Amino acid sequence: MNPRTTLLDTLRTTPLLDPRRTLPVMAELLAWWAALAVLWLVFISTVDPLELAVGAGAAAVGALAARAARRAVTGR
Amino acid sequence: MNGWEFAAALTLSGGVGGTLWGVATGPLRRRVVAQNLSTALACPALLLLAQGYDRPSYVDLALVLALLGPVGTLVFARLLADELAEDPPRAWGVTYAAAGVGAAVVLALCVATGPSRALVKLLAVGALLIGGNVIASRALAGGFRGVRRG
Amino acid sequence: MADVVIVVALLLVAAAATCAVLVRDPVRQALVLAVLGVVLAVLFTVLQAPDVALSQLAVGSALTPLLLLLTVRKVRRRARQEGRGP
Repeated sequence: MNPRTTLLDTLRTTPLLDPRRTLPVMAELLAWWAALAVLWLVFISTVDPLELAVGAGAAAVGALAARAARRAVTGR
Repeated sequence: MNGWEFAAALTLSGGVGGTLWGVATGPLRRRVVAQNLSTALACPALLLLAQGYDRPSYVDLALVLALLGPVGTLVFARLLADELAEDPPRAWGVTYAAAGVGAAVVLALCVATGPSRALVKLLAVGALLIGGNVIASRALAGGFRGVRRG
Repeated sequence: MADVVIVVALLLVAAAATCAVLVRDPVRQALVLAVLGVVLAVLFTVLQAPDVALSQLAVGSALTPLLLLLTVRKVRRRARQEGRGP
């Protein structure tokens, strides 16, 4: 390994730790999660804490699936 | 029997009954359009029934139909693509008429519901209904033929 | 007077089922069957059985036509291959 390689360089070459790459991914997932959580909130009949917790979990799973589907469609 | 149920009976007998005639007779291009319209008209009827019976949970039925109806039409558009390419359906008049019926029903129900979460749900159902059926009609007319090969 | 919707739904189901029997070509039959599924779901709703209607919608509006059309396509392809063969 090049001795001049700094910690930041190591971070940047590791895809999961590079802030320039993780930030857009997190932003996209958060946007999907927010949209799906709002959809759940609209579609349920009674709002109570348990329903909200289940909705947040389902929206998280849905956000991962939605990003995977979006990547499969746009081909990136 | 109230006005909502009467409107639902009218939509069912006039709209869905008409599409039943369309799907049982005529060339294939007319039948696929009639099948698409039957879901587009049954969905407003289910919405009207939910309001007529005063059961907000029945709106879920219309939601599922608005989601799955265009999916069914896309199945036909994909698997009958070769036969439809020779004789493509051109029926934008009735498609927009059915979309107009859906929009009118959703608007009337929104006025009856008043501002609440149920109103947002109704608007979501209406958007799914109209958007889904316009997309399905475009697929039937061969609008996405490039996607099929790509 | 209160049963007008039930009568309309029953008549629609009877008409759609009769059409599904009278239409002979399997592809066109699949189209009538899709409409019959939707009409049956409406009948179940009218009879106050929304859970049954929900499952009927899930199966009848997209899944049954898909299975039928795939089967027709496979049978026809095999028939064409056998016709071209020896």
